[in-house]
Amino acid sequence: MCGIIGCVGRGERTLDTLVDGLERLEYRGYDSAGITLLGDDLGVRKTAGKIADLETLLDERPVDGHIGIGHTRWSTHGPPTDANAHPHQDCTGDVAVVHNGIIENYQSLRDDLSAEGHTFTSDTDTEVVPHLIERGLEMGDSPEAAFRNAIAQLDGSYAIAAIVGNEEAVFAARNDSPLVIGIGDGTASSDREYFLASDVPAFREYTDKVIYVEDGEFARLDSELAVTDSDDQPVDKEVHSIEWDAEETGKSGYDHYMLKEIHEQPRALRQCLSGRVDELAGTVNLDGLSDRSPSSVQFVAMGTSYHAALYGTHLFQQAGIPAQAFHASEYATATPPTGDALVIGITQSGETADTLSALREARSRGAETIAVTNTVGSTADRECDETLLIRSGPEIGVAASKTFTGQLAALNLLALATVESARTRRGVVPELRELPGRVQSILDDSNAAEIAEEYHDSESFFFIGRRYQYPVALEGALKLKEISYEHAEGFSAGDLKHGPLALVDEDTPVFAMVTGDDEVARKTVGNIKEVEARDAPVVAVTDGRSDAALYADHVLEVPETIPRAAAVLTNVQLQLVAYHVANLLGRPIDKPRNLAKSVTVE
Amino acid sequence: MNVRTAVVLAAGEGTRLRPLTKNRPKPMLTAGNRPILEHVLDALVDAGIEKLVVVVGYRRTRVQEYFGPEYRNVPIEYVLQGKQLGSGHALLQARDATAGPLVVVNGDRVIEPGSVTQVMEAFDAGGGSPVMAVIERDDAHEYGGVRLSGGEITDLVEKPQPGAFRLINAGIYVFEHDIFDAIEETPREAGELALTDTIERLMERNSVSSVQTGGIWADATYPWDLLEVTSTVLADGRVKEAPRADGVWVGESATVHQDATLRPPVAVGADCVVGPGSVVGPDVALGENMTVGANVTVERSVVDSDSRIGHGSTVVDAVLGQSVHLRADASIPGGPADVRVDNEVFEEQPLGAVLGDRVEVGGGASFDPGALVGSGATIGGGCYVAGHVPGDAEVVR
Repeated sequence: MCGIIGCVGRGERTLDTLVDGLERLEYRGYDSAGITLLGDDLGVRKTAGKIADLETLLDERPVDGHIGIGHTRWSTHGPPTDANAHPHQDCTGDVAVVHNGIIENYQSLRDDLSAEGHTFTSDTDTEVVPHLIERGLEMGDSPEAAFRNAIAQLDGSYAIAAIVGNEEAVFAARNDSPLVIGIGDGTASSDREYFLASDVPAFREYTDKVIYVEDGEFARLDSELAVTDSDDQPVDKEVHSIEWDAEETGKSGYDHYMLKEIHEQPRALRQCLSGRVDELAGTVNLDGLSDRSPSSVQFVAMGTSYHAALYGTHLFQQAGIPAQAFHASEYATATPPTGDALVIGITQSGETADTLSALREARSRGAETIAVTNTVGSTADRECDETLLIRSGPEIGVAASKTFTGQLAALNLLALATVESARTRRGVVPELRELPGRVQSILDDSNAAEIAEEYHDSESFFFIGRRYQYPVALEGALKLKEISYEHAEGFSAGDLKHGPLALVDEDTPVFAMVTGDDEVARKTVGNIKEVEARDAPVVAVTDGRSDAALYADHVLEVPETIPRAAAVLTNVQLQLVAYHVANLLGRPIDKPRNLAKSVTVE
Repeated sequence: MNVRTAVVLAAGEGTRLRPLTKNRPKPMLTAGNRPILEHVLDALVDAGIEKLVVVVGYRRTRVQEYFGPEYRNVPIEYVLQGKQLGSGHALLQARDATAGPLVVVNGDRVIEPGSVTQVMEAFDAGGGSPVMAVIERDDAHEYGGVRLSGGEITDLVEKPQPGAFRLINAGIYVFEHDIFDAIEETPREAGELALTDTIERLMERNSVSSVQTGGIWADATYPWDLLEVTSTVLADGRVKEAPRADGVWVGESATVHQDATLRPPVAVGADCVVGPGSVVGPDVALGENMTVGANVTVERSVVDSDSRIGHGSTVVDAVLGQSVHLRADASIPGGPADVRVDNEVFEEQPLGAVLGDRVEVGGGASFDPGALVGSGATIGGGCYVAGHVPGDAEVVR
């Protein structure tokens, strides 16, 4: 995935605005970056590398102008090179285009254009767009018409912004990729300023007024803003106010966004619950979401969100509702939802391509869909029948931390509000309300840094758990993989001796999540003994109610609570372990190699 | 005004405030449901400061998490004081984060918003010589006593004899940037570098002028002082929750049962629950997301976030930390009490009890006035607690 940005009406601050915005979008990808400014002519600067490398280039070769577009790239077609970095241009150098998404028919378009004599300089799908625009201009189209006609020839997903000729405007179009427009108050040099970007934080510093561009719509940003549909008819757009602050996107004294976001979890949990639970009445109120009793539930999600989905299946199954979790990318072959089945898509960004397409699939099969997301106005939010916001606030670290916690809390609310009994609600609501304080106690007292110090040189890391702790084991392993690049696997504790135990030796620490003192805990303690017998160091993540600590080399303590809430707590300890291991290994924690924050291609 | 930057010293633990400072630095203790530091930042932002530099150290993530990168649209830069080696040493850490003249203020006392402006104006009028805010206090012997001559500071004595001074150093200063050189030239006392030592050297070399301020100046030295500081802040209405009636503030999404009574002044934090038949107030601040059961009495008390007070409990003259649990019918009946801190005994203090973070109290337990319970301690059901209970201890009948 990539991030795009554009602005008009910012005068001399145009360049700074673009570069700042790209930095804020860097979480969407960071293997190459570039910008174009329209001044006396069209100046393009682009380079492989991070935004910092682009800034170095800009220092060496300054560029100025008062209308501009920019791009931070995540490679899909062609390796991260200077040539493949956006913006891309036509043969004349009068057109510049940035693009997020995938143009599926680019090869045939490129073959046609090449045959007509157009010269391509990159391996990207995007480069066909400026050449298509150039062809339109040659045929006598106005810049706007040339842009519209070029877009009309594209199949695939895109958010595209372009500067065409000397026309003092930015043109934009969207299909299946995120695109928002910000409306600023204007400055001394102009009455109005307009921004466009893949995501709001890119320009949140300058305005809180946004409109969401829909699929098939076009926008023209110059001294005013015009949004039109594919037939060139004006569209009346609703202006939304963004409530959260860009301030939440700064690192504020922490070494990494991830550590900051881990520490924000008590607050994020309070926000998730705020106004939704009534402890006195023992009720959970999720507005439009509450009154339904699905006959079955299917979750679709990817990555960390998939682990939340697995957790969700346990909640619904415990309430007697058949529930399944699918990797969204595999959903096409799932048994179709029937009757009153509910399909719940979990996606932090609301833009995860696999999850969006699974949700569309579910809708086409007639199911009701719910998006569990962190992002208001995201595609998932707008396309699903209902949305449950997790309210975690912006998450910049590529590896999800507070949003996973928020997803677990939100799924609890959803199960309580829909299928669980009043008695369960009365028991669970107080425990949920206590989660923020309990997470805070882990943050205050955790010895995860010492555990990381002890084991960061290990060959592999294993994580085991049962029931609600099984998804935590998977998530703990994923987190470690993502940010430390070390080998890590999560298993259901019971499955250990059916194969994975062969991998266990004295150099493979095993993290075992054991909470409570019931049958589940006792069985997991049995698995710990099996591991210990193979001389593997064992780290028990436990509330101390079982005798797990007796068989463990180290203990990560969590406060006592009910099993479903304990999963949130044990996961926080594993987040801290992963963070400290990665930090000791000197990894770029917020931007691990090969990964992007939200994956907007399938 | 010429001064655009402020340095806030917020790295200290406040050891005399234990157990409340087990998990947070003193500036993050609350006064009217807001950290003391937030009151300080308000005063700075109101005075037009454009850049805040906050020196953090002890339990710094609590400060950083709460405030983030900006406060009221003024950017915050955090600088780390790795070891707490005195206020001068703390300020020194901010050297590279500042340029030009700067306001320096202690982050652990509630100050009058206008006082920062007063000091800045005096600095501008005085042509660049250092300025210190002074304020009149009955308990000058607890602080730095100050004597003046024609507005110039002639004496600065830490913890003077009772009655010898009536003015104290209010802990708000404006200096030129060369204060950093002066601190570096100051010899360390037992490894520590107090800002006041540097100021005394400045007084010898050239003049340090003063400006007398008034209004609120509230400090907590001992845990029970938080009750008084909270009363002061509530009386002044410096509360962020929305006003519901005169002296009654209730935060967003808080639920107060229709049969519960809020007696002013009282602040109920966001997402709090107050059950039927309970009476909360006067002089009470309930932190966010805490739960008060049915038929509970809470009077002249400070309760931090995420705590729970069970049905039928009584909480008077008490300071409760974060995530404290009182099960049903727990009783903290209130002061006065003789309280021992280290080797000092404070007589007749209006103190019910101080419970550190995450103290668990079983049903029906009761507290002798003046009891101090360390963080994480567990008090069994029906126990009677007197004196000190260390952190993480377990008390059973």
